[in-house]
Amino acid sequence: MNEICEVSGQSSGRTIDVVHASLIRRRRAEKRFRLYGLVSIVLGLCFVAILFASIIARGYTAFQQTSIGLDVYFDPELIDPEGRRDPVTLMEGDYDRLLKNTLSSMFPDVKARQEKGALYRLLSSAASYDLRDQVLANPELIGKIVRVWVPADDDIDMFVKGQLPRTGAEGERRIKDLQVAWIDKLEAEGRIEKSFNTAFFTSGDSREPELAGIWGAVMGSLFTLLVTLSLSLPIGMAAAIYLEEFAPRNRWTDFIEVNINNLAAVPSIVFGLLGLAVFINFFGLPRSSPLVGGLVLSLMTLPVIIIAGRSALKAVPPSVREAALGVGASSMQTVFHHVLPLAVPGMMTGAIIGMARALGESAPLLMIGMVAFIVDIPRGVLEPATVLPVQIYLWADSPERAFVERTSAAIIVLLVFLIFMNGLAVYIRKRFERRW
Amino acid sequence: MQKSTLLFLLVLLSAAAYHLGRRRSLQIAGGTVRNLHSLPSYYGYFAALWCGFPALLVLFLWIAFENSIVIQLVLSSLPKELTSASADRLGLLINDIRNIASGAVTGEPDPAIKAAAKHYLSLKETSNRLLSLLAISIAITGAAYARQRISQEFRARNQVEKSVTIFLIGCSTLAIFTTIGIVLSVLFESIRFFKEVPITEFLFGLNWSPQMAIRQDQVGSSGAFGAVPLFLGTLLISAIAMVVAVPIGLLSAIYLSEYAGPKFRAAAKPLLEILAGIPTVVYGFFAALVVAPFVRDLGVRFGLDVSSESALAAGLVMGIMIIPFVSSLSDDFINAVPQSLRDGAYALGATQSETIRQVIIPAALPGIVGGVLLAISRAIGETMIVVMAAGLTANLTVNPLAAVTTVTTQIVTLLVGDQEFDSPKTLAAFALGLVLFLVTLALNVIALHVVRKYREQYE
Amino acid sequence: MKARERMPEASFNREYSQTVGEITSPNSRIVCRNVNVYYGDKHAIQDVSLDIGRNEVIALIGPSGCGKSTFIRCLNRMNDTIPGCRVTGKILLDGQDIYDGSLDVVPLRAQVGMVFQKPNPFPKSIFENVAYGPRIHGLVSSKAELEEVVETSLRRAGLWDEIKDYLHQPGTSLSGGQQQRLCIARAIAVNPEVILMDEPCSALDPIATAKIEQLIDELRSHYTIAIVTHSMQQAARVSQRTAYFHLGRLIEVGETAQIFTNPRHQLTEDYITGRFG
Repeated sequence: MNEICEVSGQSSGRTIDVVHASLIRRRRAEKRFRLYGLVSIVLGLCFVAILFASIIARGYTAFQQTSIGLDVYFDPELIDPEGRRDPVTLMEGDYDRLLKNTLSSMFPDVKARQEKGALYRLLSSAASYDLRDQVLANPELIGKIVRVWVPADDDIDMFVKGQLPRTGAEGERRIKDLQVAWIDKLEAEGRIEKSFNTAFFTSGDSREPELAGIWGAVMGSLFTLLVTLSLSLPIGMAAAIYLEEFAPRNRWTDFIEVNINNLAAVPSIVFGLLGLAVFINFFGLPRSSPLVGGLVLSLMTLPVIIIAGRSALKAVPPSVREAALGVGASSMQTVFHHVLPLAVPGMMTGAIIGMARALGESAPLLMIGMVAFIVDIPRGVLEPATVLPVQIYLWADSPERAFVERTSAAIIVLLVFLIFMNGLAVYIRKRFERRW
Repeated sequence: MQKSTLLFLLVLLSAAAYHLGRRRSLQIAGGTVRNLHSLPSYYGYFAALWCGFPALLVLFLWIAFENSIVIQLVLSSLPKELTSASADRLGLLINDIRNIASGAVTGEPDPAIKAAAKHYLSLKETSNRLLSLLAISIAITGAAYARQRISQEFRARNQVEKSVTIFLIGCSTLAIFTTIGIVLSVLFESIRFFKEVPITEFLFGLNWSPQMAIRQDQVGSSGAFGAVPLFLGTLLISAIAMVVAVPIGLLSAIYLSEYAGPKFRAAAKPLLEILAGIPTVVYGFFAALVVAPFVRDLGVRFGLDVSSESALAAGLVMGIMIIPFVSSLSDDFINAVPQSLRDGAYALGATQSETIRQVIIPAALPGIVGGVLLAISRAIGETMIVVMAAGLTANLTVNPLAAVTTVTTQIVTLLVGDQEFDSPKTLAAFALGLVLFLVTLALNVIALHVVRKYREQYE
Repeated sequence: MKARERMPEASFNREYSQTVGEITSPNSRIVCRNVNVYYGDKHAIQDVSLDIGRNEVIALIGPSGCGKSTFIRCLNRMNDTIPGCRVTGKILLDGQDIYDGSLDVVPLRAQVGMVFQKPNPFPKSIFENVAYGPRIHGLVSSKAELEEVVETSLRRAGLWDEIKDYLHQPGTSLSGGQQQRLCIARAIAVNPEVILMDEPCSALDPIATAKIEQLIDELRSHYTIAIVTHSMQQAARVSQRTAYFHLGRLIEVGETAQIFTNPRHQLTEDYITGRFG
């Protein structure tokens, strides 16, 4: 550095000396500015990392469910007093009592009423249904003693997974010392097991965390997206084709364009108000149904699809159109035979991204009643349903500790879907990318 | 006949009409396509359009109006003393009739209602039959008309293309209808609201407590609808979000487009854009579960009194959500600055950061300002994060550590759950929606205008 | 003077790869030896050796894509901004290798200014455009001094009288010729020693061009100027020496009068006489 100073200093006027004098300061400012940029990016990436880490760390345990192994005596007295193996009688058997008897025989010291209640609460309230289903499927069980695995209560589940404290002031703990002792005993006997939580993927919503699943919400999302896709894709493509290929440049088309750009930026909740006022109150469509949800979401995704479609059409070079027009094709034939096929991958990418956004949308669906507590799995677009993001919202609002875990797990599932869809869009773009 | 069956049948008929039209054209042309004005398939499409379209239109109109007409007919056949009840009771009555008709009966219903249900069912049956008959005859007439019009000179292609154009135009005007729908749906309910609560009180009132008492003599039975605390809360959270998002978004866009090597850029850009694809409900959960407790604990450590639903936590997470939005817009605008300006600065001996700060940013400023306006509009309209992480009580404060509520939060709390639709409480949600729509509309229009002017400058 | 040895005796030489004429200058400011430039795989400049003398105007001519712009962009390392661009060989400014790893481009560019093909005023006022260079380099210590520098530069660029009342209008509001003179004023406000001009008149009408050419002639007394031009008339009018480039090679260099009246290389002659170009 010094050498340069000398060399140039000798040969030239004072400019260069002045420049060199301030150079160190300027280079430092340069470095500082560069550092700000780097820090911003690192911060942004940290947020991504923290978000994912905190959700995965909270959610992965929900993919396992604790069950308790009990040697249940299927007492014919309680479930089949007449011994006819009649399904109607079997349906109404007192399976609850079976479980209580089993637990009492395992822990004969427990006598007090309150303690007994606590003991029975080790098991999920759905455990008796499990027994019933097993008996109905296999009546041979009656009269035998069989080791049966039934789901544990959500608090016990949390405790076994180490998410509830063992020690500390007993009054502040969800799991009391007595229960800890029982669980320890069960664990020592190998009666506590964690297995893959199939119920989470196959059942609908429930008030009991250990029974709640996402299948109902997944089906609701599926129906909603089907309605959205079947409306917004054809309409969006048609609008994009008209605006890009046929529309004259005048005030009317300008107005349409302003509208589309503006709708793309209207808050989603306003679309919910529209859905509530127009589709539900005016047209009388059923509340909470995927049909209304899909209608609202297609109005929301239309601008996305139109904008993406137009840029895909814009990317097709005019030479293609001129070539087709040159051999005497009508402008309609030109567009549908030559331009559109070249633009379809771009349009599809836009459509998938629009669908991914619709899948993650929840605010407008709250407005049209898709927040109801729905246990049944929807089988059509007119049945009440909820969707995955709204299910997440509902669970996030629930006080039970175990729902935190399930909410995070539902988020993981939702994110997996979204990553898949966005990945598909990227793949299509890369695969069909063309440069003219 | 079921409506789905009818729909299917109409589609089949149209397909048949296509073949009919095609065959007919070839027949007229004597098997030589050259004799025809258009390709045979266009004659087919022409026939199919005439067959299917009017019939489908009838079908949809029928479905749209069938229910209300049938209900009216049923009600008019009911005894007077049942139908003279209030609107609410009438609604319940109709519900009862429908329930009985669909077989979901609890208890022993009133014989008059039972008869009405029977009447309802029979009317529906008749209506269905009538519809099937009408739709199919229209379809067949349409196909016959089209077939009769086919001749050698007939310009089938032009006709078909004209209908396609009309369809395309119709689709593109949907955006306008959506906007009109939004305006009308919020405007009507808002006007009803402003009849009960004066607009000045709504816009300038300082007290917001929409909980209407059930009995008239209770304290605070009237509810208060002064929305200023909501506006202030919304602005506070949006401002916090902007303080987070604008510097981080802008600086990362600058780093990525001006400094980063191609490899770093290729890796970091999509990673940062993941933030844009995460659903807002996830951010809400993150805010409520991770950030809010963290902020509160941090505050406690410094001896500050931080609400567990602090505006700071919600704003922080909203800012994180908006980072990729700001950064990708800024990236576009920075890249739109022509290379010649950079060259000009470099050739004078400016360092890279001097070029960026003193030449590129000022040149891109209109675009960046437009982008920031769009980001503000997004922050104001964001719902899930504030619903899950911000408070519900309206506090008139600008303290970021206190709990505030926002416009969108109130819309959700007012409308979720079962409410009669006419109370000022639910109507207030629409008035808030109107304000939200107008404010974001203004921001968007200004922003889009600024951005457009900016793009024109360098094109 | 290795390059010198490769030179044949001053005779007619059709050997394609060797430069005809005197590449050295008695009072040389910039010395280039065996400069090669690659854009990725493309070999844009091949083995160019050329000196540029003090207070001379040297014109670089040649058909489009022959590398003349690339070559002058090497002289203040503007090629650094183009990704995938690689420069080998030696370029010395007053004996200092400008491609030396330890050299800072900022003082280099303060010494070697540049004017571009298309006028590129910053989206700021006229005053701010000219003041920008002195400001960032800290060449002035007071507002009065800055105003003085701006006025002198605008005067030298022959723009002062036209715009002295509009100093705070945006630079982009000027006409094309005025914008280009503004860019020249911006360049000389830094008080550089060498000015590189890359087809400065290609976007201008003849009147504006004449003004700029006159300006170049006046600037010669203070600065060393290298100008790339498409117009042979312009080269003949403004330069003392002319270098002819063809397909990335320096074909011939010599006194401007000699190049235009008596080219020694067949390619130069073909170009001068308009057989291609």
